[in-house]
Amino acid sequence: MSQWEIPKPQPVMSEETAPFWEGTAKGELRVQRCAACGSLQLPASAVCSSCLSSDIAWIQVSGHGAVFSFTVVHHAFHPAFASEVPYVVADIELDEGPVLTASIVDVDHAEVKIGMEVEARFRRLDEEYVLCVFIPRGSKLPEGAPGDSGTESKQTGGK
Amino acid sequence: MAGMSGKVSVVGVGHTAYGRLPGVSAWALQAEAVRNAVADAGLSIADVDGLFTESQFSEPLLMHGTILGRQLGMRPRFLSTQSQGGATCISLIQTAALAIDAGMCSVAAVVYGDNAKTGQPNIYGLAQMGRGQADFVAHGLLGGPAMEALAAQRYRWEYGVTDEQFGSVAVTFRRHASLTPHAQYREPMSMDDYLASRWIAEPLRLYDCAITTDGGACVLLASTERARDTAQPGVQIIGMGQAHNLDGLRDKHHYTQFAGARSSREAYAMAGIGPRDVDVAEFYDCFTSTVLVTLEDYGFVGRGEAGAFAAEGGLSLSGALPSNTSGGLLSEANVTGWGQVIEAVRQLRGSCGARQVRGASTAVCSGHGGFQATHATLVLAGADAA
Ligand SMILES: [Zn+2]
Repeated sequence: MSQWEIPKPQPVMSEETAPFWEGTAKGELRVQRCAACGSLQLPASAVCSSCLSSDIAWIQVSGHGAVFSFTVVHHAFHPAFASEVPYVVADIELDEGPVLTASIVDVDHAEVKIGMEVEARFRRLDEEYVLCVFIPRGSKLPEGAPGDSGTESKQTGGK
Repeated sequence: MAGMSGKVSVVGVGHTAYGRLPGVSAWALQAEAVRNAVADAGLSIADVDGLFTESQFSEPLLMHGTILGRQLGMRPRFLSTQSQGGATCISLIQTAALAIDAGMCSVAAVVYGDNAKTGQPNIYGLAQMGRGQADFVAHGLLGGPAMEALAAQRYRWEYGVTDEQFGSVAVTFRRHASLTPHAQYREPMSMDDYLASRWIAEPLRLYDCAITTDGGACVLLASTERARDTAQPGVQIIGMGQAHNLDGLRDKHHYTQFAGARSSREAYAMAGIGPRDVDVAEFYDCFTSTVLVTLEDYGFVGRGEAGAFAAEGGLSLSGALPSNTSGGLLSEANVTGWGQVIEAVRQLRGSCGARQVRGASTAVCSGHGGFQATHATLVLAGADAA
């Protein structure tokens, strides 16, 4: 990145979200699991939103899901995205249940449909954060292909 | 009618010019709006003992009401600042009505103002939701339109809504704005203009989205008894409701059925009316898609029928449900929900000139925000109906 580039807005690590970002840094997609009632949830909450238990652990999930809804963003709401529009952001309903809002990358925008099956990939945002993004399931993207957006890795060891 | 119905009235409304007002601070806009509303009611600021505010969105502040109240020289008996996105105005009005009915204040000013058009841009606004609460910004999901687009896309997919059906909302409300002298955008908009407007975040085009405004607005409330001694025809609050879907997509219906369904049910019950009794609707039209979902939530049409209803002219001044009669957030002004309530009051006073809905005696206003999360409903009745 040149020093003249405007950085993208970062996630903000919090007590609740730190394990999520530690996961993406290792190429793992994680969700919260309540030990008391078994509910799975995203985004991260301070307690289980089903039973209010504080006994929450993070578990790794498959990284497989389907598009619940999506948008093709054409207007750069932040100057850091001016060179990237148009791009796709979607609500991904994970096979395990929770919904994650994330980019769909390396896809012809006309191909993106509600219900389309996708799988997780991990792309470095900056020195601190790795984002979980999605690609169409089964697309023949080389593993670990480094792009301008940084190194990429496939979900590892998902159950 | 039940509960609070008819006990509190809107006694004054006021706003600033709307549009591009460079060099005028949000505070100056808020103060001018209060001054105009007090004058409209034939009261003085010394009569106002309740202050209900929402912080300017472009500069979200802690303790906003204390800062505004100091500048207005007030020592109110009741003070409240709220933050519920587009539902804030109606929620503040409801809180003020409860406070008035409880005897905790007698005249309440409910106020908002922002110089969002020419003042400080607020591109980092979502970060103010708190650490870790809006991490999707890193994926480029920033700004209201991109957030709303996710819901609009799902709604469109579930019911087969067409571009022209979305567009009919924008075109109709622009026609209403053209009859509104103070509206920010009055030049006619055709369907071709709508379809040619650039994509913001598919399926939303520029003309599907609320405009940006420098402006301030104020609604003044008092007990219906007190209202009899004020300058304007009384407009009573006969129904109030709110409901909030704070659990996001844990319920997969929340992109296509908003909390307005529950909120409107509460308000209708208090008012003792149903959707068929409504003469004028002033919807929180932050996006064309929001209007369509709200039409269904409020029972004006069945699920999936709103697009056809709008395209067939149902929202126009001569339609089955004249709506956003001054142009709404899409064309009149974006002072969050205040414009909706002020226009409803003017319709019920019968003071709307070329855009007056003849015989309007019952109006409903919606407030909607927080990215499909918050909702509040107000039912108002003119002096004849009440
Ligand atoms: Zn639980």
